[in-house]
Amino acid sequence: MYLILLPILFPILSGAILLIFFRTSLKGNEKAKRKTLVIISGSLLVITALLTITALLTAKESFTLFYLTETLPITFAIDATGTLFSLLAVIVMLCAGFFSFAYMKHEDHESRYYGYYLLVFGVLNALCFAGNLITFYLFFELLTLSSMPLVLHNGSKEAVMAGLKYLFYSLCGAYAALFGIYFIYRNSTTLTFTAGGVLNPSTVAEHGSFLLLVAFVMILGFGVKAGMFPMHAWLPTAHPVAPAPASAVLSAVIVKAGVLAIIRIVYYIFGANFLRGSWMQTAWICLTLITIFMGSMLAYREPVLKKRLAYSTVSQLSYILFGLAVMNDTSLTGGLLHVLAHGFIKAVLFLCAGAIIYTTGKTRVDELRGIGKEMPLTIWCYTIVSLGLIGIPPTGGFISKWYLATGSLKSGLPILDVLGPVILLVSALLTAGYLLPVTIQGFFPGADYDYGKLEKQEPSKLMTVPILIMTVLSVLIGLFPNLITDYLTAIVSAVL
Amino acid sequence: MNFICNFPFFSILLSLFSGTVCSMLPAKAAKVVNRVVIITVGILSAILLLYLLSTGEPFVYWMGHFPAPWGNEIRAGVLEAGMALFFCIIMYLSMAGGAHKLYGEVVESKHNLYYILVNLLLCSLLALVYTNDMFTAYVFVEINTISACGLIMIRQVGRTIEAAVRYMIMSLLGSGLLLFGLCIMYDLTGHLLMSNIKESVSLLVANGEYQIPLIVSVALMCVGLCIKSALFPFHAWLPDAYGYSTVSSAAILSSLVSKGYIFLLIKIIYRVIGFDIFNSTRIIDVLFVFGLMGMIFGSISAIRENDIRRMIAFSSVAQIGYIYMGFGMGTQAGMVASIFHILSHAATKSLLFIAAIGLTDVSNGSRKFIDLTGAAYRNKWAGAAFMAGSLSMVGVPLFSGFISKLLFSQAAVQVEGKMLASLIVLGISTVLNAIYFMKTVIRIYTPVKESSYSGITFREMKGYAVVLVCFIVLNVILGVSSQPVVNMIEQGLAMFA
Amino acid sequence: MGPNLLANYGEAVSAILFCIGFTNLLLQTNLIKKIIGLNIMDSAIYLFLAEKGYIAGRVAPIVVNGVTSTEAYINPIPSGLVLTGIVVSVSVTALMLSLTIRLYTRYHTLDLDEISTQLKKEGR
Repeated sequence: MYLILLPILFPILSGAILLIFFRTSLKGNEKAKRKTLVIISGSLLVITALLTITALLTAKESFTLFYLTETLPITFAIDATGTLFSLLAVIVMLCAGFFSFAYMKHEDHESRYYGYYLLVFGVLNALCFAGNLITFYLFFELLTLSSMPLVLHNGSKEAVMAGLKYLFYSLCGAYAALFGIYFIYRNSTTLTFTAGGVLNPSTVAEHGSFLLLVAFVMILGFGVKAGMFPMHAWLPTAHPVAPAPASAVLSAVIVKAGVLAIIRIVYYIFGANFLRGSWMQTAWICLTLITIFMGSMLAYREPVLKKRLAYSTVSQLSYILFGLAVMNDTSLTGGLLHVLAHGFIKAVLFLCAGAIIYTTGKTRVDELRGIGKEMPLTIWCYTIVSLGLIGIPPTGGFISKWYLATGSLKSGLPILDVLGPVILLVSALLTAGYLLPVTIQGFFPGADYDYGKLEKQEPSKLMTVPILIMTVLSVLIGLFPNLITDYLTAIVSAVL
Repeated sequence: MNFICNFPFFSILLSLFSGTVCSMLPAKAAKVVNRVVIITVGILSAILLLYLLSTGEPFVYWMGHFPAPWGNEIRAGVLEAGMALFFCIIMYLSMAGGAHKLYGEVVESKHNLYYILVNLLLCSLLALVYTNDMFTAYVFVEINTISACGLIMIRQVGRTIEAAVRYMIMSLLGSGLLLFGLCIMYDLTGHLLMSNIKESVSLLVANGEYQIPLIVSVALMCVGLCIKSALFPFHAWLPDAYGYSTVSSAAILSSLVSKGYIFLLIKIIYRVIGFDIFNSTRIIDVLFVFGLMGMIFGSISAIRENDIRRMIAFSSVAQIGYIYMGFGMGTQAGMVASIFHILSHAATKSLLFIAAIGLTDVSNGSRKFIDLTGAAYRNKWAGAAFMAGSLSMVGVPLFSGFISKLLFSQAAVQVEGKMLASLIVLGISTVLNAIYFMKTVIRIYTPVKESSYSGITFREMKGYAVVLVCFIVLNVILGVSSQPVVNMIEQGLAMFA
Repeated sequence: MGPNLLANYGEAVSAILFCIGFTNLLLQTNLIKKIIGLNIMDSAIYLFLAEKGYIAGRVAPIVVNGVTSTEAYINPIPSGLVLTGIVVSVSVTALMLSLTIRLYTRYHTLDLDEISTQLKKEGR
């Protein structure tokens, strides 16, 4: 029973201990100290991952930690949706964690980074396991606070301002969501996540139109975390300033907390049946489509690689949200599949960008001529996952986008059912436009390129292996989608 | 009558006389007396609270041998006893947390004066909490003002004297209005005891007589107490008074003195005018609007501030705004939220003041943000405590601030006309709070490469660190197990009727 | 309104005096004038109370010549309140004056605004 608490408390406590006892910067016997630090944090990370998987496999019943007020328990429970997100979190956190053991060599305050990294891990687990809305909200706030130090890690003015921007956008969003929670709290039987919704039928009859507004405000609020237009501006500022592995985690996992939040409120609190066909659904779909297009456009125009990837995250997350907003089984499956696909792909992309920065110090796309000759393995991985993100079979991205498009077409929404796939296609073209130049320039630098100054500088194994693992995973999703779609169908049939 | 019923009277008398005794003692002994008195009063209040919880009935205690319409009375219910206990806890922690600063900031020979003032302040707060007589309340309001003024100017620098003068002027305006309102009320009803006034007032309202003088009287009393508790447009004296006085004073002033007046206002609303009659006047709308404005403008001033102590002081203006917003909602739930916020704010604000002094101490005494960079590494305990206080202020779950915001929002959802305004302003104010508190937290946790300041170790500040931990624990208790407290408040309000 | 005002001229006068004192205390920049304002304000309230406690044709509640009938005396409570109030206002005035002296010895002016500007110049 207490097993469910371990993957939450262990990393939070160990992170806190790391923060308190390893405060002193690495002076004197630097190398040995660093080695100890890396070994300790590495083992803590692995233990956390193991604990999480154990909990996912064994903990079945829900566990109430304490009561905030009489009617507001802090409860943890594991369900299929939580498991999906938790698995993604474990894999990405592990890979990015090992990557950062190599990457963080050239940054200061390593112990602080690992401490907060573990904290974030614990909070993410708690978020996935949260059994009711108030628990979810609690850890949603904590996630913002604990991930902020990762954003402003290097302490430069730019990073601090980005961190503050992140904080304010998130807090505004969280408050908008909290406003909804207050209202639901009064108008529902319970705040426990229940597939199909928890609203009182009498309330729906009485306050129906207002509830739609509340739902919309909540989606906007939680959508801040998922970078949804019009509150997306923090994401391209905050993600690139973090150290690369932290950007990977931010872009691949932490923003998914926003997606999870929206899944929870739409399918587990309001219920899809209540929202389907309302003005709110239309408005939401429009917002996601705007975000998809705009994100791709902005990414296309952006010269700095990490920033470009951040804009790409904005766009890709709205693919997922689009799938959620259409609210039928196919599109929802597509959305959930894209959660996984995008998680792995974006993590790999950011890690590749990190590897490039680490070895060459280059950040802009136009500086990367010939990079493929210098770091072939990294750029190959980059290329493979790029193809996945564009949606070329047989990669994971293709399957999810296929589901999204067919789901949209069969939804029967006026205009939007066709407009959706069209925008998805346009955006896919733009995706190719902003991702592939790195590959093209990297492998084909042109005739005037001076091959003489070329030198092999493939990064260390600690960097390439995590990238490879996640690349393989993203391809596997595309090759054997049935394994996952079967699992997703169970979720989807439960909530719809 | 049970022996325990003497306790409110004992507490008031004990603190009053210990003040007198302190004047003859050397500073060290006065300090001990002061601590012992606060603890004793706290214990007495705790026993009283338990007793009242078990009986479930408030009691009235005659001061002297005259019955109701003539004599002077003390009245104790759950809320009164709870408040007294809470005030003692906060006062003890504030005194203990700021004790080390007293030596640097106050002349040694004046130390026992300081303890006299604190005892006197405790006495007047207790009297405000317990009294059932309006004129007694007025007298103790003045005693409270005088001792608070003394607490401000005990540190003799130009700023504090000027602040004390400004504080005095605003307070005197407030108590003048209160007294005038009270006299009109006496004129209308012929009584000074709260319960008797309430009977007459309900009779007057039922008969529809003297409506305008009644409203004028209520309005005068409200405005007077609003001025004294630094509601938004009357807050000009506050930043200097809280910002430059010695730290114990600042903590006590912000978390107790203004709350004493607010508690008196609650008593007036419930026990003198009657909750329903008060809510039918337009006064609550005025309080509501000023509360909302205070929430926003207080935070904006805090954001523009470059001095950590003054920033915290301005944040008080915003928090007082929250409390008045709760009054303005005109529902039981709003009132419960306000009272909870009194507790939560008292616990948080004194924590912030005490933590801030730890941070400035390790930055050569400078309060400018630029000098505070990295201060949290130099004084880890103060840094952590400041962060906890900030999180509570911003309203992060697990801290008391979240619960009060939750209660406010729940109260707001029930009031049709004021729901949107209060929720939106709550939202804006939360974000504004986050701006300046998180800015400060990030600032104090930004590492500096070459530090010219020396840090402080745990050994050198054991007592201080323990106080900080107590404050944080108090905050978390209020945040995690708020239900018993809320139940107690509801029970106490029910006893007011 | 008019007749009422005339009939209750005592209350009206005290209200006007209260306003005069209040504005003086609030708006004057000279500290001594502020204190005078404070005293006017307080006195106005005592006037109001005394006016309220007075019953025409009766004498002050001090037993002389052995008359103990309550009919002979005015209401004693307001007088008691006034006495208490006077004590309070004396102590408050004393405190204000002592503060004023301290400020004057430091800044050689009684003007509160000027003191504020001097303080700003000091920078602390």
